[in-house]
Amino acid sequence: MAVVAPPASPAAERLGRLERMWQPRPGILGWITTTDHKRIGLLYFWTTLVFFGAGGVEALIMRTQLAEPNSHLVGPATYDELFSMHGITMIFLFIIPMTTGAFGNYLIPLMIGARDMAFPRVNALSYWIFVSSGIFMYVALFLGVAPNAGWYNYVPLSGAQFDPGRNIDVYTLGIIFNSIASTLTAGLFIVTILKSRAPGMSLNRMPLFCYAMLAAAIGLLFALPALTVDTIFLFLDRNIGTHFFDYAHGGSPLLWQTLFWFFGHPEVYILIVPAFGIATSIIPAFTQRRLVAYPLVGIAELLVVVIGFGVWAHHMYATGLPTVALIFFAGATAMVVIPSTIQVFAWLMSLVTGTPRFRTPLLFIAGFIFMFVTGGLSGIMFVAIPFDQAVTHTYFIIAHFHYIIFGAAVFPIFGGMYYWFPKITGRMYFERPGQISFWVLFVGTNLLFFPMHILGLLGMTRREYTYPASLGWGPYNLAETVGGYITLVGILLLFGNLVVSYFRGERAPIDPWHGPTLEWTTSSPPPEYNYAVIPKVTSAYPNWDVADRQEDRRKLAEGVLVLEQGHEQVEVTPADGFLSDVVTMPHSSPWPPLLAFCLALVFLMLVVGKYGVAGIMGILCLLVLFGWHSTEPEEA
Amino acid sequence: MRRRHLEILQWAGLFVGAATFAAAHVLGYGTVLATCNPGNAQFGIDHHVWEGALLSSSAVVVLLAEAASVAVLLATRDTSYEAEPPLSRIRFFAITAATANILFLGIVLLDLFGSLFNVPCRQA
Amino acid sequence: MTAAALPRRPSIPAAWWGMGILIASESVLFGCMISTYFYFRFRSPVWPQGGVSPPELVAPIVTAACLATTSVPMQLAAFAARAGRLAATRLYVVAALVVQCGYLAYELRDYNNQLDKTDITRNAYTSIYYTLLGADHGHVLLGVLFNIWLLWKLSRGLNRYRSNATLAIAWYWHFANAATLAVVGTILSARV
Repeated sequence: MAVVAPPASPAAERLGRLERMWQPRPGILGWITTTDHKRIGLLYFWTTLVFFGAGGVEALIMRTQLAEPNSHLVGPATYDELFSMHGITMIFLFIIPMTTGAFGNYLIPLMIGARDMAFPRVNALSYWIFVSSGIFMYVALFLGVAPNAGWYNYVPLSGAQFDPGRNIDVYTLGIIFNSIASTLTAGLFIVTILKSRAPGMSLNRMPLFCYAMLAAAIGLLFALPALTVDTIFLFLDRNIGTHFFDYAHGGSPLLWQTLFWFFGHPEVYILIVPAFGIATSIIPAFTQRRLVAYPLVGIAELLVVVIGFGVWAHHMYATGLPTVALIFFAGATAMVVIPSTIQVFAWLMSLVTGTPRFRTPLLFIAGFIFMFVTGGLSGIMFVAIPFDQAVTHTYFIIAHFHYIIFGAAVFPIFGGMYYWFPKITGRMYFERPGQISFWVLFVGTNLLFFPMHILGLLGMTRREYTYPASLGWGPYNLAETVGGYITLVGILLLFGNLVVSYFRGERAPIDPWHGPTLEWTTSSPPPEYNYAVIPKVTSAYPNWDVADRQEDRRKLAEGVLVLEQGHEQVEVTPADGFLSDVVTMPHSSPWPPLLAFCLALVFLMLVVGKYGVAGIMGILCLLVLFGWHSTEPEEA
Repeated sequence: MRRRHLEILQWAGLFVGAATFAAAHVLGYGTVLATCNPGNAQFGIDHHVWEGALLSSSAVVVLLAEAASVAVLLATRDTSYEAEPPLSRIRFFAITAATANILFLGIVLLDLFGSLFNVPCRQA
Repeated sequence: MTAAALPRRPSIPAAWWGMGILIASESVLFGCMISTYFYFRFRSPVWPQGGVSPPELVAPIVTAACLATTSVPMQLAAFAARAGRLAATRLYVVAALVVQCGYLAYELRDYNNQLDKTDITRNAYTSIYYTLLGADHGHVLLGVLFNIWLLWKLSRGLNRYRSNATLAIAWYWHFANAATLAVVGTILSARV
């Protein structure tokens, strides 16, 4: 709760002890060794924005190349690297780390009433590994060996015979490196959400944002190993001479696709589910009513991911598999629409039956709903195997997934930036420019992506670096390029607004929106320890429970659950949130960045083919892990 | 119904349906791969028999999971999912599982009919 | 009321959940590799491919069974640690470690011998065979390293952290042993 206490009172003394106990290390070293989920969230935020910019530049170069027929702005080899890096960057280096690493990290402990994540040093490790993996990929780009066989990297094109350079080794190793970060984050979220909630927050009283993050984390945990196995097989095929994907020696090129899409389809749900969580946070705040059908929305978020594990071969309808095989995936694909639809109806009904205030965050959510439904409609069309076989690998599918990814992941991210800007920075953003940025983005993205549906039906296949004028695709491509530049303007307006607001915006109150969740009960920005008292929770909308918030103030005065004797936080029973333990958390630590650095050396040695040295670097990693575990939390 | 029974039925309703869908899906797809590839010459797996058995038994199990969830719903009808845990949590998961199991049943039945009413191993 | 006075309910510690996460992730890893094995198997008219002889029957079963029995002392160690019995905890972990190291030494030598006779690059069968088996040995090695670390920790006494660690590592071993049994079952299925 807001940290106000009469001076020289017991409450003030306790607050003072908390402040001293949780004092961050000063300066750059404080940031490098931080284990505070808020600082890590901010590190993720800025880093992912850099990669968003890179991916955006790649997109604009492609769009400029395609603006007119027979263009030679870039050649085919460069274009291959551009679309590959665009996909890899946007998926692995922007959306996943932004939604989970930035939003999830910053907000989950705040929303569940915790002081930090369950394993703070693991959290820091995941950030440093993520940023190292991004640097790994981009150094390769600048050295001219970026991945160039697409983000899904099919064999045999990506095999040693047709792609003999280092490009695909950068892909396989970079992806494995990056997936370690995501796996750590996913595991951390699951344990934190199950064990670190405030007492009283049983699973039926947990914010829907946390259900969304739980779903994404479960998805990441179970999907990433398939990608790891796939890329290991490819690395072995390319460098050791194994034959996993080599038909002539009993292997199968389809194995790559099967394992890849077993990961890849859950991955795309993982991209959008956290964004659903952002939407389910913003709508109650700006309609001032509880979300319609809370239990159904909670299970829908989990179901999207769970059923999403069963649809992978709908990416393989044109590979020659038997109908009776594809049936399984057509069935699951048809049914996976339903949880998403449940959520759309819940959002719409909440808007209709509440009192909507269309401030900038809610505008972005409205835009998100529109674009998600549009993208969802084209998605449903892909359930039909014959239709899919006609339009697969054309611009129709590009239209579909960009409506979903940009509309259903990026729009909520932008809305969330506006929504939580006051909480994180302590300043209000400027509303009018915010609304303008929304409309520019909305117009730009629809102009950019809608004509792609038509182009796909006209037969333009994806990944073509140019096209002849006689096909009549020119006007649509030109319109899309114009839309792309309008989108750029919208993005610049948005970030310009946020930057100016950071320096010039008026001071934000603790609770500018009368939001429903716990983060609106603490100061803006929150103190290092989040809450002076571990909050009392009796509903899924704790900030609207006035009596509970008053009780927290009483508890501060009486010293109940202030936990100011150390870096302490609570553990609870997973299902019902009954208090089970008080645990000591590590504070700042040098081991996570050190381990990430040693791991980066391992991958660097692997990519240049020095396997022995890589092994020695691996032993170094084990020594660092040893050092990490040499002190125990109670001793620290 | 006793608390302990409610707990067991609630968790069973929540996880058994999902696990059955997952197993039926993987094993069903695996059966097709097995029957429609050269390796089947050694084993002679009959596609319709195996898929029919696998998917119909899976449908039954999912139905049982649904029944468990509905039983818990009926037993907790005097509680709200917004009340004090654990009864509210039990009811909450019964609501969610009852919804989810309908979807899983739908998928298993679609798979069953699709498997039985298509010619095995014909390319799509 | 201090935190110590608040009523608490017993619950599995976060450390166990963390290990559970690792186990879940690695289980999917093994699941994908085992699925790949059977994917190749059913696509091949003859298995193993290319005239490679199937693995021998007795030695893998015996060694895997020996390894699997180490779940018993590991679990007993976890119980002993919870009860505060330091000497018993150490004894159980040492007993398990001896068998686990013996298993690993034997298997690595055997793996090397097999590689000398039939290279991994022969065909898809050898590719998945050695990768699957190698992954299993890697996970056993990781477990051995966990146990060595645990013994070092236990040399300094018992506390809640070390008791939780013993529990978590015991569960790691249950997973590693189950994975070994699954892998051995998979590679021996070539004899069917």
